[in-house]
Amino acid sequence: MRWEVFKQDAPGKPHQAVGSVHGADPEHALLNARHVFGRRPAAVSVWVVPADRVLARTAEELAAEGPPRAAGGDAGQARRFHVFRKSSHRRSMTFVDHVGDVDAVSHEAALAAAIAADGPEPALAWWVVAADDVTRSDPEDAPSWFEPARDKTYKQQSAYGTVTPRRERGAAP
Amino acid sequence: MTQAAASVDEGDPRLRRFEARIAAGEKIEPGDWMPDEYRRQLIRMISQHAHSEVVGMLPEGAWITRAPSLRRKLVLIAKVQDEAGHGQYLYHAAETLGADRDELEQALLTGRAKYSSVFNYPTLTWADVGMIGWLVDGAAIKNQLMLAQCSYGPYSRAMVRICSEETFHHKQGKEMVIAYAQGTPAQRRMAQDALDRWWWPAVMMLGPHDSDSPNTPLLVRWGIKTKTNDQVRQEFIDEHAPELMEAGLRIPDPDLRYDEETGHWVHGPIDWDEFWRVVKGDGPCNVERLAARNKAHAEGAWVRAALEAYAARRPEAVEA
Repeated sequence: MRWEVFKQDAPGKPHQAVGSVHGADPEHALLNARHVFGRRPAAVSVWVVPADRVLARTAEELAAEGPPRAAGGDAGQARRFHVFRKSSHRRSMTFVDHVGDVDAVSHEAALAAAIAADGPEPALAWWVVAADDVTRSDPEDAPSWFEPARDKTYKQQSAYGTVTPRRERGAAP
Repeated sequence: MTQAAASVDEGDPRLRRFEARIAAGEKIEPGDWMPDEYRRQLIRMISQHAHSEVVGMLPEGAWITRAPSLRRKLVLIAKVQDEAGHGQYLYHAAETLGADRDELEQALLTGRAKYSSVFNYPTLTWADVGMIGWLVDGAAIKNQLMLAQCSYGPYSRAMVRICSEETFHHKQGKEMVIAYAQGTPAQRRMAQDALDRWWWPAVMMLGPHDSDSPNTPLLVRWGIKTKTNDQVRQEFIDEHAPELMEAGLRIPDPDLRYDEETGHWVHGPIDWDEFWRVVKGDGPCNVERLAARNKAHAEGAWVRAALEAYAARRPEAVEA
């Protein structure tokens, strides 16, 4: 089973989509997410969500399909949804960022509400995730899960900064 | 080498819009329209790249127990662990295109899938670990910096993350080789011997000449690659040749020379017969590498089964 992974680099920063892992259950997925995406600073929290529980729409899909419509008229209770947005084509190692939460009756209704409340700059892609589909790392585990990466300075290229036997360009070999 | 069966419907208006988006510097994301051939080429490239990361753990992993100091052992463990993580990033990118991870894994285990030819060479001495970092990771970084510009968002992002981690691999290798090259006569001989064996495999791992690379024009047209194999190889040699010489080592290419006119290093003829022999399964370690992957997969079967059994007994799973 595949799980989307969201990593938070520092308190106050958004959780960002960094990729996916496989896992047999939420706990396994969370551990794999920590092993795969927490080898380097900085991380303070990871979330995992079953990949098939993410509503994803690119700008191109929304332009072709029109605004999202809730399937099957589920007039049930409103739930909390996390909304993620991609805002730029700039070179990046992350995809969509957590930009806010919406209470809605479905993923589609949450996306419609997010688009309605969005600013003038068009989003490049949206993801919507139900808050109760998210498995989150325990803040109590954060020191043992994430802090050791900070001290492993031998993994940082800056630890090798002085190594350059560089010859003047064009000098004879 | 299979000829690219490029079936591209040039009259499709969606193709024109797709190419206009790439020309404007936009990233193509999962869910966006893309030509079937774009998807096929990306799955081919990304899965080969993922397999290379996974198999790439083996030549160096063999030296973890024999590292000459605790620091070197920590560095090597971290590097091999990174390669495992890089395989994970890349399998993820392939999955966003609809590839199935189990099928990709089976293709590797049964020998149907290709991976980088360079990992089919043996690591005979500890100096090889340093030389792999400096040359093989150095060549890989040149290729991966190019691929970080890729038009497909998930592949590009995986490359940005990999490059940021892999620069450490390159630098630790360079540091180690320079230390040996300035060390005792025996250490200098080890460094030179490692260079003698790894120079050509590193030069070759950047792929066939452009004239023998039928996929390249389409890959460049669609922004999957932004440079050709020969361009990336030139960048690699221009950086590494002078630095290796400065370290006091002799590059095993008698024709290698610096061209004042162009400002580039010119290399001698590459033995492509050797390259294709190794790619097609007849390198020094192809059989050993596949056997090691199959052994690891088989010996991990009980762990996977236990995880599935545990997951099936969770209260939430039982309720559902």
